[in-house]
Amino acid sequence: MELIDGYPESMRESITLVERTRPARMGCTFPAMSLDERKILLTHFHPDYKAGAKRPLLFGPSKGMSINHELADLFEARPLIRSNLNLKHVDSDLDLLVIGGGGAGTVAAIWAVKEGLDPSRVMIATKLRHGDSNSTMAQGGIQAADRPQDSPAHHYLDVMGGGHFTNRPELVRALVEDAPLIIQWHERLGVMYDKDSQGHFVENPGGGTSRNRMHSARDYTGLEIMRVLRDEARNLAIPVVEFSPAIELLCDEQGRVAGAVLINLETKRYHIVRAKTTIITTGGLGRLHMQQYPTTNHYGATADGLVLAYRVGADLVDLDAVQYHPTGAAFPAQMAGLLITEKVRGLGAQPTNCNGDQFVFPLEPRDVEASAFIRECSERGLGVDTMHGISGVWLDSPMVDLIHGPGTIRAALPAMFRMYTRFGIDMTRDPILVYPTLHYQNGGIATDENGATTVPGLYAAGEVMGGVHGKNRLMGNSLLDFNVFGRRAGIAAANYARAEYTPSRLSLAHVDAYETMLREANIETTRTAPRILPDYRGKEALERYLDIPL
Amino acid sequence: MTVTENVPLISMQLMGKDYSVPSGLTIMAAIEYAGYKLVRGAGCRGGFCGACPTLYRRDDSHRIFTALACQTLVEDGMCLVQMPFVPLMTKPYELQTIVPRPNTLLQHFPEIAGCVACNTCTRACPQGLQVMDYIQAALRGDTKRAAMLSFDCISCGICSSRCPADIKHYAVGLLARRIYGKFVIPAAPDLSERVAELEAGDYQDVLNELVGMSAAELRVRYEQRSFEAVADGGETHSATKRYNSPVDPVDFQDEIEIEIER
Amino acid sequence: MQIAYYPGCTIKASASQHEGAALAVLRALGVELREMEEWNCCGVVHSLTSDNLIRHMAPVRVFARLREQGANEVATLCDMCFNTLARANIHARQQPEQIVAMSVTSGGELSYDGGASVQHMLQILRDRVGFAKIRARVRRPLRGLRVYPYYGCKLLRPSEVGIDDPETPAVLRDLMQALGATVVEGSLQTQCCGAYHVVDHDEIVAERVAATTAQASVGGAEAIVLSCPLCHYNFDTLQPASDTALPVFYYTQLMGIAFGLEPGQLGLEEQQIALLPLLQQHNLIHAKGDLG
Repeated sequence: MELIDGYPESMRESITLVERTRPARMGCTFPAMSLDERKILLTHFHPDYKAGAKRPLLFGPSKGMSINHELADLFEARPLIRSNLNLKHVDSDLDLLVIGGGGAGTVAAIWAVKEGLDPSRVMIATKLRHGDSNSTMAQGGIQAADRPQDSPAHHYLDVMGGGHFTNRPELVRALVEDAPLIIQWHERLGVMYDKDSQGHFVENPGGGTSRNRMHSARDYTGLEIMRVLRDEARNLAIPVVEFSPAIELLCDEQGRVAGAVLINLETKRYHIVRAKTTIITTGGLGRLHMQQYPTTNHYGATADGLVLAYRVGADLVDLDAVQYHPTGAAFPAQMAGLLITEKVRGLGAQPTNCNGDQFVFPLEPRDVEASAFIRECSERGLGVDTMHGISGVWLDSPMVDLIHGPGTIRAALPAMFRMYTRFGIDMTRDPILVYPTLHYQNGGIATDENGATTVPGLYAAGEVMGGVHGKNRLMGNSLLDFNVFGRRAGIAAANYARAEYTPSRLSLAHVDAYETMLREANIETTRTAPRILPDYRGKEALERYLDIPL
Repeated sequence: MTVTENVPLISMQLMGKDYSVPSGLTIMAAIEYAGYKLVRGAGCRGGFCGACPTLYRRDDSHRIFTALACQTLVEDGMCLVQMPFVPLMTKPYELQTIVPRPNTLLQHFPEIAGCVACNTCTRACPQGLQVMDYIQAALRGDTKRAAMLSFDCISCGICSSRCPADIKHYAVGLLARRIYGKFVIPAAPDLSERVAELEAGDYQDVLNELVGMSAAELRVRYEQRSFEAVADGGETHSATKRYNSPVDPVDFQDEIEIEIER
Repeated sequence: MQIAYYPGCTIKASASQHEGAALAVLRALGVELREMEEWNCCGVVHSLTSDNLIRHMAPVRVFARLREQGANEVATLCDMCFNTLARANIHARQQPEQIVAMSVTSGGELSYDGGASVQHMLQILRDRVGFAKIRARVRRPLRGLRVYPYYGCKLLRPSEVGIDDPETPAVLRDLMQALGATVVEGSLQTQCCGAYHVVDHDEIVAERVAATTAQASVGGAEAIVLSCPLCHYNFDTLQPASDTALPVFYYTQLMGIAFGLEPGQLGLEEQQIALLPLLQQHNLIHAKGDLG
């Protein structure tokens, strides 16, 4: 099939229309929706409202919560170990175990050490490498109200509105109050945020924000923050155990969480880690591919932490609300689902349908924007069709250089530019095709403003935690979330660990209790959880798979 | 990605072993198609994390090529291996105690004096960075240049694995960037003020009020909020504008010429 | 006149006063020095081994880049860089098969046809600008200042790259006289200062510096003037601290003073042995450091 500068003939025809409408669209933006219009759009088109996509949790503290089948399947699954696993030989005895080596986990460990814990009594256990996480992939920015014309009060309102006023107020307060401090901490660690020559941060607008408070490091914001944090953890000699996911939490006989069972993915040897306190920072769930959407998430985003926490009886919140990022790459197929940062729209690129017409305000909150794209492609039939069966809408990226000068995309969005160039497309000359993609877990484990879950000895921070964003997260608040709550959880966990308590006998009684709940709910299954990694092996190869002992 | 029926098959060699895979897949997808469940060698799957460095040869060239498995399409006749890990050991440092001088990077990484400017690292970099030039900049104490040129580095390690002097380029770049970010770029003028205001409790009252509001009251406040104007056509900060690598496939100059034509 | 300029690592890291003065002085003479957009270390420490091809890549790459950037000629301040680059250039022209091998090793990416050249800044001043023009630009002759020009070795040897007679060089003498200074000469002007021995056998360097400065003093000199940043380091740091230590000037700094340029551009306070007292003594600079 002929490709002209990366696009086939059929899509080129639509691009011509986009170019034709561009001059009239420059400087002319489609108006924003009212709160009521938003509500109607969401209920009719957002995937979370789709009939038959969800079922209620049948047992446990959050019984009755309606969640996607793909996630419910993980709760209605058998543990990977039996309760009679030999716990006598403890491999590691710690003050703090952090499960998950992304942004939140690293921040938590660093602040726990700063709060006084001995690094040799801290451990970060992660299923892939240190830093492999959604944190690394965040592109557009981190919000903080640090300028005189902005204030944490404005930030608070933006967060609440974006979350449809379902957010927990004390969590939102913590988020916006700590934000400037986090930025200052990053500055002192040497994070290279975009600044002008006097040192003022370049601060951009984002979807649903009333002030331009998005700090970024080109479009590698998450990567830049993560690699500095990772280096800082390394310099503090915080041990990191890679390729060793937690497959079950351990409790003591009083029901406090007392560590975890880890497994070395390469040798299949399990490790018993006893810890006075545990923080779950396992991130998101994009690789569960809800409703078969592609995802922006990294390879390991399989909701492991939710399962671990629910097994010991932690409360969950807002798991009925999953965020679909409006702009995931929709073409070429090899890029399907990859994040196209909101910053592109922040810099002026407008979404258009196949006729080159605008149909939505470019910076509505994400769930609203995503629903508008879905409506345009489905009910209105004005999407652009691709050969691999999905359709999308255009994001008119050439507008960015026209508005801000040639070279802007190269300078401000190098990651994205590079990504498209690898597949033969020049996004400075041609629009790019986008469609919503599974992006963020809005809800999660319920915690207080210091990351404490409803189970003693167990904390949570970052994407795995819920209540901060309500039903919908705004751009730039996830990088902020993992820093604010990673720090709070690290500090709180350190103080908890220093109280005189020592875990008594280790127990897996909760595994039996969970199996009982499954039985009582009439769930018979061979499914196991946590999932650990998704399976992308070819259909043909799987059909001929033989599990022989070696 | 769904594989439709009439896609032609091509042949790739994974560690010397032949596999028949549909064309149009990335190397990573092709390896999975062949039946491998990746534990090492997959991370973000989007070109950001450096988990999937791959070395390969083709039958039309004697050279070794490098790629990220998640970002590169598999080609007929490709003979490839993944290199998911390059050993790295560096001495710890405390950034707060570093006094940045022209020879600071050389002191931390004395082996960079062994750079012979052979440019192997630059040719190996899957991100198209001017790796040798950022090492050279580090060598002569030009921290800013080292930071800018290395900024898009994803620490995949291929450069280090190919370097005759065994330099740890990505570790050098990381320290250069942290030094630049902390000591060279001026601190943000308004930031400390805002942090001090928060510590002094200046926002307690207004936040207490907001936290105490009902959803309905918040809605009203939300709908009344004012928006900050977005500067139209303002020059966005592009500190790295001058630093685009000549190794990048699209010539920056082309864009300027096109603009004039319009 | 514009000429491409190659700084070299040492100039940037520890001899910035030489560069600052040079840029100002050349500008005053109508010569614009344009730093090469992308350049790498000349490879002085490793490039001149006679075996192992890869170690010649550094200096050859400087010339290859020069050509890519559209120039045929580059000027440099540092004697070590000048010597390394000039010799590597001769090597490239005389052994083109080595260049072919380099090209193959680099996958065709490094390629140089031997068509460029490197000049030392003193050659530019002597041969392109001319001492007459320099003399004409002097506003404040260095009358009464007695200087001992020190050449070291890299500027003059081996003769295939040397810019002047290796036994009886004249360029620094002529330059100093054009500025109005009095020149003191001696046999040790062209003796090596000891160069890199300062790293692990600094007694060798100290001995040579002592002998040379003694000869200069006996001849009546009040200061040393030189060109090379490594010689500068050796002379400035290894004379024993005393009232009789001879201050060490870069020729560019003396040019700047004689031209009446802004002293802030000349890095006069960056030396270990203070320069200002001598300059004040000769009324070449006022107490507050301005040239009045």
